[in-house]
Amino acid sequence: MTPWVVTVFILLISLWYLTFLATRLDRLHHRVETSWANLDVLLQKRAAVALEIAHSDIADPASSLLLTGAAYQARDADIKSRSAAESGLSGALGLLLEDSQDLATAADNALLTELSALTDKIRVAIALHTDAVTRTQMVRSKLIVKLFRLAGTAPLPVTYEFESDVL
Amino acid sequence: MLARSLKIGIVCPYSWDTPGGVQNHIRDLAEFLIAAGHHVSVLAPAIDESKLPDYVVNAGKPISIPYNGAVARVLFGPVAFSRVRQWISNGEFDLLHLHEPAIPSISLLACWAADGPMVGTFHAAAKRQKIIFAIGPILEPAIEKLSARIAVSEAARLTLTDHLDTDAVVIPNGIYASRYHDGKAEEKWQGNTIGFIGRFEEPRKGLSVLLEALPVIARFAPDVKVFVAGPGDPSEVEQSIDPQLRHRFTFLGKISEAEKANFMSSVALYVAPNTGGESFGIILAEALAAGACVVASDIPAFEDLLGHGQFGALFKSEDSTDLAKVVIDLLRDETKRAELVAAGEMRGQSFDWDIIAQQIYSVYEMSIVGSEKVKLASDTRSWNRFLSKDEK
Repeated sequence: MTPWVVTVFILLISLWYLTFLATRLDRLHHRVETSWANLDVLLQKRAAVALEIAHSDIADPASSLLLTGAAYQARDADIKSRSAAESGLSGALGLLLEDSQDLATAADNALLTELSALTDKIRVAIALHTDAVTRTQMVRSKLIVKLFRLAGTAPLPVTYEFESDVL
Repeated sequence: MLARSLKIGIVCPYSWDTPGGVQNHIRDLAEFLIAAGHHVSVLAPAIDESKLPDYVVNAGKPISIPYNGAVARVLFGPVAFSRVRQWISNGEFDLLHLHEPAIPSISLLACWAADGPMVGTFHAAAKRQKIIFAIGPILEPAIEKLSARIAVSEAARLTLTDHLDTDAVVIPNGIYASRYHDGKAEEKWQGNTIGFIGRFEEPRKGLSVLLEALPVIARFAPDVKVFVAGPGDPSEVEQSIDPQLRHRFTFLGKISEAEKANFMSSVALYVAPNTGGESFGIILAEALAAGACVVASDIPAFEDLLGHGQFGALFKSEDSTDLAKVVIDLLRDETKRAELVAAGEMRGQSFDWDIIAQQIYSVYEMSIVGSEKVKLASDTRSWNRFLSKDEK
Protein backbone atom coordinates (compact mmCIF):
# COMPACT_ATOMS: atom_id res chain seq x y z
CA MET A 1 0.00 0.00 0.00
CA THR A 2 2.71 2.52 1.01
CA PRO A 3 4.73 2.33 -2.24
CA TRP A 4 1.54 3.24 -4.05
CA VAL A 5 1.00 6.32 -1.94
CA VAL A 6 4.59 7.43 -2.46
CA THR A 7 4.41 6.91 -6.21
CA VAL A 8 1.20 8.89 -6.48
CA PHE A 9 2.68 11.61 -4.31
CA ILE A 10 5.81 11.91 -6.44
CA LEU A 11 3.71 11.91 -9.59
CA LEU A 12 1.53 14.69 -8.25
CA ILE A 13 4.55 16.76 -7.24
CA SER A 14 6.20 16.39 -10.63
CA LEU A 15 2.94 17.21 -12.34
CA TRP A 16 2.65 20.33 -10.26
CA TYR A 17 6.23 21.29 -11.08
CA LEU A 18 5.65 20.83 -14.79
CA THR A 19 2.54 23.01 -14.82
CA PHE A 20 4.39 25.56 -12.71
CA LEU A 21 7.21 25.70 -15.24
CA ALA A 22 4.77 25.90 -18.12
CA THR A 23 2.95 28.84 -16.49
CA ARG A 24 6.26 30.53 -15.91
CA LEU A 25 7.25 30.11 -19.54
CA ASP A 26 3.89 31.30 -20.75
CA ARG A 27 4.25 34.44 -18.68
CA LEU A 28 7.73 35.04 -20.05
CA HIS A 29 6.56 34.67 -23.65
CA HIS A 30 3.80 37.12 -22.88
CA ARG A 31 6.39 39.55 -21.54
CA VAL A 32 8.51 39.19 -24.68
CA GLU A 33 5.49 39.97 -26.84
CA THR A 34 4.30 43.01 -24.91
CA SER A 35 7.77 44.49 -24.59
CA TRP A 36 8.30 44.01 -28.31
CA ALA A 37 4.95 45.66 -29.07
CA ASN A 38 6.03 48.63 -26.95
CA LEU A 39 9.35 48.94 -28.69
CA ASP A 40 7.72 48.61 -32.10
CA VAL A 41 5.25 51.43 -31.43
CA LEU A 42 8.01 53.71 -30.14
CA LEU A 43 10.23 53.01 -33.13
CA GLN A 44 7.37 53.75 -35.53
CA LYS A 45 6.80 57.04 -33.72
CA ARG A 46 10.45 57.87 -33.99
CA ALA A 47 10.43 57.26 -37.75
CA ALA A 48 7.46 59.64 -38.03
CA VAL A 49 9.27 62.33 -36.04
CA ALA A 50 12.38 61.80 -38.15
CA LEU A 51 10.33 62.44 -41.29
CA GLU A 52 8.95 65.62 -39.76
CA ILE A 53 12.45 66.76 -38.91
CA ALA A 54 13.54 65.99 -42.47
CA HIS A 55 10.80 68.29 -43.77
CA SER A 56 11.55 71.06 -41.27
CA ASP A 57 14.19 73.79 -41.41
CA ILE A 58 16.53 71.89 -39.11
CA ALA A 59 17.77 69.71 -41.92
CA ASP A 60 19.67 70.98 -44.94
CA PRO A 61 18.63 69.40 -48.29
CA ALA A 62 21.36 66.77 -48.25
CA SER A 63 20.74 65.45 -44.73
CA SER A 64 16.99 65.78 -45.33
CA LEU A 65 17.35 63.31 -48.20
CA LEU A 66 19.46 60.98 -46.09
CA LEU A 67 16.99 61.13 -43.20
CA THR A 68 13.92 60.58 -45.37
CA GLY A 69 15.56 57.54 -46.91
CA ALA A 70 16.53 56.11 -43.54
CA ALA A 71 13.08 56.76 -42.04
CA TYR A 72 11.27 55.01 -44.88
CA GLN A 73 13.67 52.11 -44.71
CA ALA A 74 13.05 51.74 -40.99
CA ARG A 75 9.29 51.82 -41.53
CA ASP A 76 9.19 49.27 -44.32
CA ALA A 77 11.85 46.89 -43.03
CA ASP A 78 10.78 43.31 -42.32
CA ILE A 79 11.64 41.69 -39.02
CA LYS A 80 15.04 40.44 -40.18
CA SER A 81 16.41 43.70 -41.51
CA ARG A 82 14.67 45.78 -38.87
CA SER A 83 17.59 46.28 -36.50
CA ALA A 84 19.94 47.31 -39.29
CA ALA A 85 17.40 49.79 -40.61
CA GLU A 86 16.71 51.26 -37.15
CA SER A 87 20.42 51.60 -36.43
CA GLY A 88 20.75 53.36 -39.79
CA LEU A 89 18.06 55.82 -38.74
CA SER A 90 19.79 56.37 -35.40
CA GLY A 91 22.99 57.11 -37.26
CA ALA A 92 21.32 59.57 -39.62
CA LEU A 93 19.60 61.35 -36.73
CA GLY A 94 22.84 61.45 -34.77
CA LEU A 95 24.74 63.00 -37.70
CA LEU A 96 22.10 65.67 -38.14
CA LEU A 97 21.69 66.54 -34.46
CA GLU A 98 25.41 66.83 -33.87
CA ASP A 99 25.73 70.05 -35.87
CA SER A 100 22.24 71.48 -35.69
CA GLN A 101 21.89 71.73 -31.91
CA ASP A 102 22.41 75.49 -31.74
CA LEU A 103 20.77 76.37 -35.06
CA ALA A 104 17.29 75.27 -34.08
CA THR A 105 14.46 77.80 -33.77
CA ALA A 106 11.70 77.59 -31.17
CA ALA A 107 9.30 75.69 -33.42
CA ASP A 108 11.96 73.16 -34.35
CA ASN A 109 12.98 72.86 -30.75
CA ALA A 110 9.63 71.24 -29.98
CA LEU A 111 10.46 68.53 -32.50
CA LEU A 112 13.89 67.99 -31.02
CA THR A 113 12.48 67.74 -27.48
CA GLU A 114 9.95 65.20 -28.71
CA LEU A 115 12.74 63.22 -30.30
CA SER A 116 14.87 63.21 -27.15
CA ALA A 117 11.87 62.17 -25.03
CA LEU A 118 11.22 59.33 -27.47
CA THR A 119 14.87 58.32 -27.42
CA ASP A 120 14.75 58.06 -23.62
CA LYS A 121 11.66 55.87 -23.81
CA ILE A 122 13.18 53.70 -26.51
CA ARG A 123 16.24 53.13 -24.37
CA VAL A 124 14.01 51.86 -21.54
CA ALA A 125 11.93 49.75 -23.93
CA ILE A 126 15.04 48.11 -25.35
CA ALA A 127 16.29 47.26 -21.87
CA LEU A 128 12.94 45.72 -20.92
CA HIS A 129 12.72 43.72 -24.12
CA THR A 130 16.29 42.45 -23.97
CA ASP A 131 15.78 41.34 -20.39
CA ALA A 132 12.56 39.49 -21.23
CA VAL A 133 14.25 37.74 -24.15
CA THR A 134 17.33 36.64 -22.22
CA ARG A 135 15.21 35.34 -19.34
CA THR A 136 13.04 33.36 -21.72
CA GLN A 137 16.05 31.91 -23.49
CA MET A 138 17.51 30.95 -20.13
CA VAL A 139 14.43 29.08 -18.93
CA ARG A 140 13.95 27.44 -22.31
CA SER A 141 17.47 26.08 -22.28
CA LYS A 142 16.62 23.93 -19.25
CA LEU A 143 16.70 20.24 -20.03
CA ILE A 144 13.35 19.52 -18.45
CA VAL A 145 11.68 22.22 -20.57
CA LYS A 146 13.10 20.73 -23.73
CA LEU A 147 12.28 17.18 -22.70
CA PHE A 148 8.61 17.83 -22.04
CA ARG A 149 8.26 20.47 -24.79
CA LEU A 150 6.86 22.89 -22.26
CA ALA A 151 7.34 25.83 -24.59
CA GLY A 152 4.86 24.27 -27.01
CA THR A 153 4.97 25.75 -30.47
CA ALA A 154 6.09 29.24 -29.43
CA PRO A 155 9.12 30.36 -31.43
CA LEU A 156 12.36 30.98 -29.53
CA PRO A 157 12.63 34.75 -29.11
CA VAL A 158 15.68 36.47 -30.53
CA THR A 159 17.43 39.49 -29.09
CA TYR A 160 16.93 42.67 -30.95
CA GLU A 161 20.42 43.75 -31.88
CA PHE A 162 20.04 47.42 -31.27
CA GLU A 163 23.25 49.12 -30.40
CA SER A 164 22.12 51.39 -27.64
CA ASP A 165 25.10 53.67 -28.07
CA VAL A 166 23.88 54.92 -31.44
CA LEU A 167 20.69 56.21 -29.87
CA MET B 1 1.40 65.21 -18.60
CA LEU B 2 -0.58 62.08 -17.89
CA ALA B 3 -2.89 60.63 -20.46
CA ARG B 4 -5.34 58.60 -18.43
CA SER B 5 -6.17 58.03 -14.82
CA LEU B 6 -4.81 54.76 -13.46
CA LYS B 7 -5.42 52.70 -10.36
CA ILE B 8 -1.98 52.10 -8.94
CA GLY B 9 -1.13 49.89 -6.00
CA ILE B 10 2.20 50.55 -4.29
CA VAL B 11 3.68 48.16 -1.75
CA CYS B 12 6.07 49.50 0.87
CA PRO B 13 8.09 46.75 2.61
CA TYR B 14 9.18 48.80 5.63
CA SER B 15 7.15 50.11 8.51
CA TRP B 16 5.44 53.36 7.52
CA ASP B 17 6.03 55.07 10.88
CA THR B 18 9.80 54.68 10.95
CA PRO B 19 11.63 57.31 8.90
CA GLY B 20 13.67 56.03 5.98
CA GLY B 21 14.66 56.67 2.40
CA VAL B 22 12.35 54.09 0.85
CA GLN B 23 9.34 55.32 2.83
CA ASN B 24 10.01 58.96 1.90
CA HIS B 25 10.37 57.99 -1.73
CA ILE B 26 7.06 56.13 -1.72
CA ARG B 27 5.27 58.95 0.11
CA ASP B 28 6.47 61.58 -2.35
CA LEU B 29 5.74 59.38 -5.36
CA ALA B 30 2.26 58.51 -4.13
CA GLU B 31 1.44 62.16 -3.43
CA PHE B 32 2.78 63.23 -6.80
CA LEU B 33 0.71 60.59 -8.61
CA ILE B 34 -2.43 61.51 -6.65
CA ALA B 35 -1.91 65.19 -7.50
CA ALA B 36 -1.64 64.15 -11.15
CA GLY B 37 -5.10 62.58 -10.95
CA HIS B 38 -4.39 58.89 -10.37
CA HIS B 39 -5.89 56.62 -7.74
CA VAL B 40 -3.14 55.37 -5.50
CA SER B 41 -3.28 52.88 -2.66
CA VAL B 42 -0.16 52.14 -0.62
CA LEU B 43 0.03 48.90 1.35
CA ALA B 44 2.50 49.19 4.22
CA PRO B 45 3.11 47.69 7.66
CA ALA B 46 2.47 50.18 10.44
CA ILE B 47 2.59 50.26 14.21
CA ASP B 48 0.16 53.09 14.82
CA GLU B 49 -2.80 52.93 12.47
CA SER B 50 -4.31 56.27 13.53
CA LYS B 51 -1.48 58.35 12.06
CA LEU B 52 -1.65 56.95 8.53
CA PRO B 53 -2.60 59.22 5.62
CA ASP B 54 -5.80 58.08 3.90
CA TYR B 55 -4.06 56.54 0.87
CA VAL B 56 -2.15 54.07 3.07
CA VAL B 57 -3.63 50.68 3.94
CA ASN B 58 -2.24 49.01 7.05
CA ALA B 59 -0.91 45.51 6.48
CA GLY B 60 -0.22 44.72 10.14
CA LYS B 61 2.45 45.20 12.80
CA PRO B 62 6.03 44.85 11.53
CA ILE B 63 8.76 42.76 13.12
CA SER B 64 12.41 43.80 13.34
CA ILE B 65 15.06 41.80 11.51
CA PRO B 66 18.72 42.62 10.89
CA TYR B 67 19.38 43.40 7.24
CA ASN B 68 22.25 45.03 5.35
CA GLY B 69 23.96 46.42 8.44
CA ALA B 70 20.84 47.95 9.97
CA VAL B 71 17.58 46.83 11.52
CA ALA B 72 14.72 46.61 9.07
CA ARG B 73 11.13 46.62 10.25
CA VAL B 74 9.29 44.36 7.84
CA LEU B 75 6.34 42.04 7.79
CA PHE B 76 5.62 38.58 6.43
CA GLY B 77 3.86 35.38 7.38
CA PRO B 78 0.53 33.72 6.58
CA VAL B 79 -1.65 36.44 8.10
CA ALA B 80 0.18 39.13 6.15
CA PHE B 81 -0.09 36.99 3.01
CA SER B 82 -3.85 36.81 3.26
CA ARG B 83 -4.06 40.58 3.82
CA VAL B 84 -1.92 41.15 0.74
CA ARG B 85 -4.17 38.86 -1.30
CA GLN B 86 -7.24 40.66 -0.04
CA TRP B 87 -5.77 44.06 -0.90
CA ILE B 88 -4.94 42.88 -4.41
CA SER B 89 -8.31 41.35 -5.11
CA ASN B 90 -10.25 44.33 -3.69
CA GLY B 91 -8.07 46.95 -5.36
CA GLU B 92 -8.67 46.08 -9.03
CA PHE B 93 -5.38 47.77 -9.86
CA ASP B 94 -4.13 48.54 -13.33
CA LEU B 95 -0.62 48.14 -12.06
CA LEU B 96 1.34 47.15 -8.96
CA HIS B 97 4.55 48.94 -8.01
CA LEU B 98 6.56 46.83 -5.57
CA HIS B 99 9.47 48.29 -3.68
CA GLU B 100 12.44 46.14 -2.69
CA PRO B 101 10.76 42.87 -3.77
CA ALA B 102 13.88 40.78 -3.21
CA ILE B 103 13.82 40.85 0.58
CA PRO B 104 11.38 38.85 2.70
CA SER B 105 8.54 41.34 3.03
CA ILE B 106 5.00 42.06 1.87
CA SER B 107 6.49 43.24 -1.44
CA LEU B 108 7.73 39.73 -2.14
CA LEU B 109 4.42 38.28 -0.98
CA ALA B 110 2.57 40.59 -3.35
CA CYS B 111 4.87 39.58 -6.17
CA TRP B 112 4.06 35.99 -5.40
CA ALA B 113 0.33 36.46 -5.16
CA ALA B 114 -0.35 38.75 -8.11
CA ASP B 115 -0.48 38.25 -11.83
CA GLY B 116 -0.48 41.12 -14.30
CA PRO B 117 1.43 44.36 -14.88
CA MET B 118 4.00 44.77 -12.11
CA VAL B 119 6.94 47.11 -11.70
CA GLY B 120 9.63 46.57 -9.08
CA THR B 121 12.02 49.16 -7.66
CA PHE B 122 15.28 48.01 -6.09
CA HIS B 123 16.78 50.42 -3.59
CA ALA B 124 19.50 48.56 -1.73
CA ALA B 125 23.10 48.34 -2.72
CA ALA B 126 24.85 45.48 -0.97
CA LYS B 127 27.98 43.48 -1.42
CA ARG B 128 27.72 39.97 -2.86
CA GLN B 129 26.10 37.80 -0.23
CA LYS B 130 26.17 34.02 -0.20
CA ILE B 131 22.71 33.81 1.29
CA ILE B 132 21.17 35.33 -1.83
CA PHE B 133 22.69 32.58 -3.95
CA ALA B 134 21.06 30.03 -1.73
CA ILE B 135 17.59 31.51 -2.03
CA GLY B 136 18.10 32.78 -5.59
CA PRO B 137 16.37 29.84 -7.29
CA ILE B 138 13.30 30.43 -5.12
CA LEU B 139 13.28 34.19 -5.72
CA GLU B 140 13.90 34.02 -9.45
CA PRO B 141 10.49 32.84 -10.66
CA ALA B 142 8.87 35.53 -8.53
CA ILE B 143 11.15 38.38 -9.60
CA GLU B 144 10.70 37.23 -13.17
CA LYS B 145 7.03 38.16 -13.01
CA LEU B 146 7.88 41.85 -12.82
CA SER B 147 7.34 43.37 -16.23
CA ALA B 148 9.88 46.07 -15.48
CA ARG B 149 12.62 46.57 -12.93
CA ILE B 150 13.88 49.93 -11.74
CA ALA B 151 17.10 50.48 -9.79
CA VAL B 152 17.58 53.77 -7.96
CA SER B 153 21.28 54.00 -8.73
CA GLU B 154 24.05 52.35 -10.66
CA ALA B 155 25.14 50.70 -7.40
CA ALA B 156 21.69 49.21 -6.86
CA ARG B 157 21.63 48.00 -10.45
CA LEU B 158 24.97 46.23 -10.02
CA THR B 159 23.68 44.55 -6.86
CA LEU B 160 20.73 43.28 -8.85
CA THR B 161 22.75 41.96 -11.79
CA ASP B 162 25.19 40.33 -9.38
CA HIS B 163 22.61 38.61 -7.22
CA LEU B 164 19.68 37.81 -9.42
CA ASP B 165 21.18 37.89 -12.88
CA THR B 166 18.67 40.36 -14.23
CA ASP B 167 19.00 43.88 -15.57
CA ALA B 168 17.19 47.06 -14.54
CA VAL B 169 16.50 50.55 -15.75
CA VAL B 170 18.13 53.22 -13.59
CA ILE B 171 15.74 55.93 -12.38
CA PRO B 172 17.08 57.93 -9.45
CA ASN B 173 15.12 58.96 -6.38
CA GLY B 174 13.18 62.19 -6.69
CA ILE B 175 13.28 65.39 -4.66
CA TYR B 176 11.09 68.49 -4.68
CA ALA B 177 13.91 70.55 -6.15
CA SER B 178 12.06 73.86 -6.03
CA ARG B 179 11.76 73.68 -2.23
CA TYR B 180 15.54 73.53 -1.96
CA HIS B 181 16.11 75.99 -4.76
CA ASP B 182 14.10 78.56 -2.81
CA GLY B 183 16.29 78.17 0.30
CA LYS B 184 17.44 81.54 1.64
CA ALA B 185 20.98 82.13 2.82
CA GLU B 186 21.02 83.01 6.54
CA GLU B 187 23.83 85.08 7.94
CA LYS B 188 24.35 82.98 11.06
CA TRP B 189 25.50 80.05 8.93
CA GLN B 190 27.56 82.01 6.41
CA GLY B 191 31.29 82.63 6.29
CA ASN B 192 33.95 79.94 6.36
CA THR B 193 31.46 77.33 7.45
CA ILE B 194 31.13 73.59 7.00
CA GLY B 195 27.72 71.91 7.23
CA PHE B 196 26.89 68.29 8.10
CA ILE B 197 23.43 66.71 8.24
CA GLY B 198 22.64 63.23 9.48
CA ARG B 199 22.31 60.92 12.45
CA PHE B 200 25.84 61.72 13.61
CA GLU B 201 25.93 58.95 16.20
CA GLU B 202 25.91 56.29 13.46
CA PRO B 203 29.52 55.49 12.54
CA ARG B 204 28.70 55.02 8.84
CA LYS B 205 27.66 58.67 8.55
CA GLY B 206 31.34 59.43 9.02
CA LEU B 207 31.31 62.45 11.36
CA SER B 208 34.49 61.09 12.97
CA VAL B 209 36.35 61.53 9.66
CA LEU B 210 35.40 65.20 9.67
CA LEU B 211 36.45 65.52 13.34
CA GLU B 212 39.86 64.10 12.54
CA ALA B 213 40.31 66.45 9.60
CA LEU B 214 39.38 69.57 11.54
CA PRO B 215 42.69 70.31 13.34
CA VAL B 216 44.45 70.56 9.97
CA ILE B 217 41.63 72.58 8.42
CA ALA B 218 41.65 74.97 11.42
CA ARG B 219 45.35 75.63 10.98
CA PHE B 220 44.86 76.87 7.42
CA ALA B 221 41.47 78.49 7.88
CA PRO B 222 41.48 79.93 11.43
CA ASP B 223 37.91 81.19 11.36
CA VAL B 224 36.33 77.90 10.21
CA LYS B 225 33.11 76.82 11.91
CA VAL B 226 31.27 73.50 11.76
CA PHE B 227 27.49 73.13 12.03
CA VAL B 228 26.12 69.66 12.69
CA ALA B 229 22.40 69.08 12.18
CA GLY B 230 20.50 65.89 12.86
CA PRO B 231 18.86 63.96 15.67
CA GLY B 232 21.01 62.55 18.45
CA ASP B 233 22.74 63.32 21.72
CA PRO B 234 25.83 65.50 21.08
CA SER B 235 27.40 65.21 24.56
CA GLU B 236 29.35 62.04 23.79
CA VAL B 237 30.67 63.39 20.49
CA GLU B 238 31.61 66.69 22.15
CA GLN B 239 33.71 64.78 24.69
CA SER B 240 35.81 63.32 21.88
CA ILE B 241 36.59 66.73 20.37
CA ASP B 242 39.85 68.48 21.24
CA PRO B 243 38.88 71.17 23.85
CA GLN B 244 40.66 73.86 21.85
CA LEU B 245 38.43 73.14 18.87
CA ARG B 246 35.23 72.56 20.75
CA HIS B 247 33.97 76.13 20.37
CA ARG B 248 34.04 75.76 16.58
CA PHE B 249 31.27 73.18 16.71
CA THR B 250 27.57 73.95 16.93
CA PHE B 251 25.07 71.15 17.26
CA LEU B 252 21.70 72.26 15.91
CA GLY B 253 19.67 69.14 16.68
CA LYS B 254 16.94 68.02 14.29
CA ILE B 255 16.03 70.77 11.83
CA SER B 256 12.85 71.20 9.76
CA GLU B 257 12.66 70.81 5.98
CA ALA B 258 12.55 74.58 5.47
CA GLU B 259 15.50 75.11 7.79
CA LYS B 260 17.37 72.38 5.95
CA ALA B 261 17.01 74.22 2.63
CA ASN B 262 18.20 77.49 4.19
CA PHE B 263 21.05 75.70 5.96
CA MET B 264 22.30 74.10 2.73
CA SER B 265 22.04 77.39 0.85
CA SER B 266 24.07 79.21 3.52
CA VAL B 267 27.10 77.09 4.41
CA ALA B 268 30.27 77.50 2.36
CA LEU B 269 30.77 73.74 2.09
CA TYR B 270 28.42 70.83 2.65
CA VAL B 271 30.37 67.76 3.73
CA ALA B 272 29.12 64.17 3.43
CA PRO B 273 31.86 61.89 4.80
CA ASN B 274 29.70 58.71 4.77
CA THR B 275 31.75 55.56 4.84
CA GLY B 276 29.25 53.26 3.13
CA GLY B 277 25.77 51.76 3.24
CA GLU B 278 24.43 54.43 0.90
CA SER B 279 22.69 53.34 -2.25
CA PHE B 280 21.72 56.70 -3.67
CA GLY B 281 22.49 59.67 -1.40
CA ILE B 282 19.31 61.72 -1.57
CA ILE B 283 20.79 64.29 0.83
CA LEU B 284 23.45 65.16 -1.75
CA ALA B 285 20.80 65.67 -4.43
CA GLU B 286 19.02 68.03 -2.04
CA ALA B 287 22.23 69.87 -1.20
CA LEU B 288 23.03 70.32 -4.89
CA ALA B 289 19.53 71.64 -5.60
CA ALA B 290 19.90 74.10 -2.71
CA GLY B 291 23.05 75.46 -4.29
CA ALA B 292 25.55 74.07 -1.81
CA CYS B 293 29.13 73.32 -2.68
CA VAL B 294 29.34 69.61 -1.87
CA VAL B 295 32.34 67.65 -0.61
CA ALA B 296 31.65 63.92 -0.36
CA SER B 297 33.48 60.65 0.15
CA ASP B 298 34.12 58.65 -3.02
CA ILE B 299 31.80 55.72 -2.22
CA PRO B 300 30.16 54.41 -5.45
CA ALA B 301 26.75 56.01 -4.89
CA PHE B 302 28.21 59.48 -4.23
CA GLU B 303 30.74 59.25 -7.03
CA ASP B 304 27.93 58.43 -9.39
CA LEU B 305 25.65 61.20 -8.13
CA LEU B 306 28.39 63.82 -8.30
CA GLY B 307 29.38 62.81 -11.83
CA HIS B 308 32.89 61.75 -10.72
CA GLY B 309 33.68 65.18 -9.33
CA GLN B 310 31.93 67.24 -11.99
CA PHE B 311 29.15 68.50 -9.69
CA GLY B 312 30.90 68.39 -6.34
CA ALA B 313 34.31 67.58 -4.87
CA LEU B 314 35.21 64.02 -3.83
CA PHE B 315 37.75 62.77 -1.31
CA LYS B 316 39.06 59.31 -0.50
CA SER B 317 36.53 57.65 1.81
CA GLU B 318 37.64 57.40 5.47
CA ASP B 319 40.80 59.41 4.68
CA SER B 320 40.73 62.53 6.87
CA THR B 321 43.97 63.93 5.41
CA ASP B 322 42.47 63.91 1.94
CA LEU B 323 39.27 65.48 3.25
CA ALA B 324 41.27 68.27 4.91
CA LYS B 325 43.16 68.92 1.69
CA VAL B 326 40.01 69.12 -0.44
CA VAL B 327 38.24 71.36 2.10
CA ILE B 328 41.17 73.77 2.43
CA ASP B 329 41.56 74.04 -1.35
CA LEU B 330 37.90 74.86 -1.75
CA LEU B 331 37.71 77.32 1.15
CA ARG B 332 40.55 79.30 -0.42
CA ASP B 333 39.31 79.17 -4.00
CA GLU B 334 36.05 81.02 -4.36
CA THR B 335 35.84 80.74 -8.16
CA LYS B 336 36.22 76.96 -8.03
CA ARG B 337 33.42 76.86 -5.49
CA ALA B 338 31.16 79.02 -7.65
CA GLU B 339 31.81 76.72 -10.62
CA LEU B 340 30.89 73.62 -8.67
CA VAL B 341 27.76 75.29 -7.31
CA ALA B 342 26.61 76.34 -10.80
CA ALA B 343 27.15 72.85 -12.21
CA GLY B 344 25.64 71.24 -9.11
CA GLU B 345 22.44 73.28 -9.22
CA MET B 346 21.73 72.07 -12.77
CA ARG B 347 22.38 68.51 -11.64
CA GLY B 348 20.11 68.95 -8.61
CA GLN B 349 17.23 70.09 -10.83
CA SER B 350 17.44 66.85 -12.81
CA PHE B 351 16.25 64.97 -9.71
CA ASP B 352 13.06 66.99 -9.51
CA TRP B 353 9.88 64.95 -9.13
CA ASP B 354 8.47 66.48 -12.33
CA ILE B 355 11.18 64.73 -14.29
CA ILE B 356 11.57 61.58 -12.19
CA ALA B 357 7.83 60.85 -11.95
CA GLN B 358 7.54 61.23 -15.71
CA GLN B 359 10.26 58.62 -16.15
CA ILE B 360 8.58 56.26 -13.71
CA TYR B 361 5.24 56.84 -15.42
CA SER B 362 6.63 55.96 -18.84
CA VAL B 363 7.83 52.66 -17.36
CA TYR B 364 4.29 52.16 -16.01
CA GLU B 365 2.86 52.78 -19.47
CA MET B 366 5.17 50.25 -21.03
CA SER B 367 4.21 47.62 -18.49
CA ILE B 368 0.51 48.15 -18.96
CA VAL B 369 0.28 48.02 -22.77
CA GLY B 370 -1.65 44.97 -23.89
CA SER B 371 -2.12 43.59 -20.39
CA GLU B 372 -5.17 43.27 -18.26
CA LYS B 373 -5.69 44.33 -14.67
CA VAL B 374 -3.79 42.86 -11.78
CA LYS B 375 -5.33 39.61 -10.56
CA LEU B 376 -4.51 37.00 -8.01
CA ALA B 377 -2.21 34.45 -9.56
CA SER B 378 -4.14 31.63 -7.93
CA ASP B 379 -7.32 32.59 -9.83
CA THR B 380 -5.64 32.09 -13.16
CA ARG B 381 -4.04 28.73 -12.45
CA SER B 382 -5.79 25.96 -14.26
CA TRP B 383 -5.91 23.41 -11.46
CA ASN B 384 -7.41 25.99 -9.10
CA ARG B 385 -10.04 26.90 -11.63
CA PHE B 386 -10.77 23.21 -11.91
CA LEU B 387 -10.95 22.75 -8.14
CA SER B 388 -13.18 25.73 -7.49
CA LYS B 389 -15.60 24.45 -10.10
CA ASP B 390 -15.74 21.16 -8.27
CA GLU B 391 -16.61 22.83 -5.01
CA LYS B 392 -19.60 24.65 -6.41
